[in-house]
Amino acid sequence: MTNVYCKRAAFSIAMLVVMVCCVPAQDTKSFKDSDIAVIVNPSNPVDSISSTELRKIFSGQKQSWAGGMPVELFVRAPGARERDVLLNQVLRMSESEYKAFWVKKLYSGESQREPLALFSNGMQLEAVRAEKGGIALLSLQDLHQGVKVLKINGRLPGTPGYNLQ
Amino acid sequence: MHRKIFWLSIFALLPVLISAQTTSSRDEAASSLSVQEKEIAEQRQTIRQLVTEMKELKGRLAALEAKQPASTQTASSEEAAKLSETAATTTLSSPGSPASPTMAQTQPLENAPFHLARGIQFQGFGALTYRASDVKPAEAPLLGLKAGSSGNFSIGDVDLFLTSHINPKMMVLAEIVFSEGDSQQFETDVERMLLKYDANDYLKMSFGRYHTATSYYNSVFHHGNWLQTAVDRPLIVEFADHGGLLPSQAVGASATGAIPSGSLGLNYNLEYGTGDTVRPLINQPNPPEIDEKNGNHVSAGLFLKPDWLPGLDVGGNLYHDRLNPEGTPLHISQTIGSLHAVYTTPRFEFLSEGFFLRHTLQGTSQTFNTPAFYALISHKLGTQWRPYFRYQYVNASSSSPLYSDVSLRHGPSAGIRYDFNDYLALKTQYDRTYRRNLPSFNEVLAQMAFRF
Repeated sequence: MTNVYCKRAAFSIAMLVVMVCCVPAQDTKSFKDSDIAVIVNPSNPVDSISSTELRKIFSGQKQSWAGGMPVELFVRAPGARERDVLLNQVLRMSESEYKAFWVKKLYSGESQREPLALFSNGMQLEAVRAEKGGIALLSLQDLHQGVKVLKINGRLPGTPGYNLQ
Repeated sequence: MHRKIFWLSIFALLPVLISAQTTSSRDEAASSLSVQEKEIAEQRQTIRQLVTEMKELKGRLAALEAKQPASTQTASSEEAAKLSETAATTTLSSPGSPASPTMAQTQPLENAPFHLARGIQFQGFGALTYRASDVKPAEAPLLGLKAGSSGNFSIGDVDLFLTSHINPKMMVLAEIVFSEGDSQQFETDVERMLLKYDANDYLKMSFGRYHTATSYYNSVFHHGNWLQTAVDRPLIVEFADHGGLLPSQAVGASATGAIPSGSLGLNYNLEYGTGDTVRPLINQPNPPEIDEKNGNHVSAGLFLKPDWLPGLDVGGNLYHDRLNPEGTPLHISQTIGSLHAVYTTPRFEFLSEGFFLRHTLQGTSQTFNTPAFYALISHKLGTQWRPYFRYQYVNASSSSPLYSDVSLRHGPSAGIRYDFNDYLALKTQYDRTYRRNLPSFNEVLAQMAFRF
């Protein structure tokens, strides 16, 4: 009988400790959901790129995929989180600098077209599904079927060490 | 007894839990205000986005409804198969975000790719410049700036930049400039007219009239005053019809692209075309023009854009053609070598280019060498101010058959640029120019440069 009570007490304590520990675990989960995925068309043979390649793609330096398929850049319109991540983490420039950068790029003839700014993640998904060379940044929680998620530096979004957030 | 032990252990644990809760309550209380503010801001942002998306979706729905009969008829079975294949592909789906077959099966709105906006897209660049100069004797009136005037306003070049996509790899690019001459008359000039074909990153071809790769400046800034930090171009890279020394334009074919070199980022460019450089003598108020009657030129260059330092561009170019200046019996072999080292970031800019122009009179051993360079450094302060400093140097032989009017010219320029917004920049600049056997002079320039 004594053992039963002792066991119950120990069990209750253990449960309380587990409950306390669960709180940070939930935080971690939402933190991972805030990752930004890099999506491409499923027909794109590329599965993984480095963060340097990602910068080169979104800065118009790399303009074609393997096989010569032109890269089609899709970005969110100003105000979206995906755009903030693109500007602050990938390109490291302000909104104003980004606009000036693309004016120069087009005017010099270095690039044929500037990224197409879209108003929603749904439109981004639709665009990447429709364009074989399409690439976009998309919040992980808005990810749906019909697109391929690229690994960045060998890591998928939602996994430890993924750095697009 | 055991029940007592159980309750005692619960009571023992209670303070721990309460203290944990209190700590978190304190933290929450401290951050609740900012959290609430953030939430309100996020909610507002979300509402704004939703309204925007709703408007956009309404528009797209209307467009879809209008096009439905046509697209239904034109949709091929092959396209349908591809789309269903696309819809079936699920590479990764996060929990709580179920696949949306409706969206996945959505057909492209048009048969044309998303990016392929049919028609011609326009952009424009313009500027209003004021220049005050104490140069004596008076020099050539260029870009609407009058000879002998101590100070006057001018429009300079009004630049229309047009692009039109033919297919995802091919486009037409044109740059039409209305250039102000003396007495506020404008001349129209098709500065660039190119049919461009980008096969891949390793081969990008252009056919038509282009700005030569004799200088980095010529390849990047073209006629857009708004794009460049300084008010004007350094003399060595000024357009030939404005008194510059380099053959700035040609008609022909060019190719550029990357050379597989890993993180080194090696690129090439090749040009073969016909130039026809006409430049006014800049040291006279009513200057005659020298038509160099260029033959076909060949030009080749290499440049590095390493991955490990984004913004760095280092390279060089070699240009060769033959000249037979109009009204002279001279046949001149022209070779122009240039090197550039450029480092630009959104906030910092360093441009430096060195040139060596070599002109050899054919049939004799007489050679005229013209070394030149310029360097510009600028740094953005805050979000709108950008002070800059430039030094330029050109040393042509006084007996040069082409550049005797230039002779030796060198001097500093200092200025500041203020970006009023994304479309308008205000610039002021002070120049001092030293000349061989002629008095030095000062210039003050102010400019409103804009794009539209």
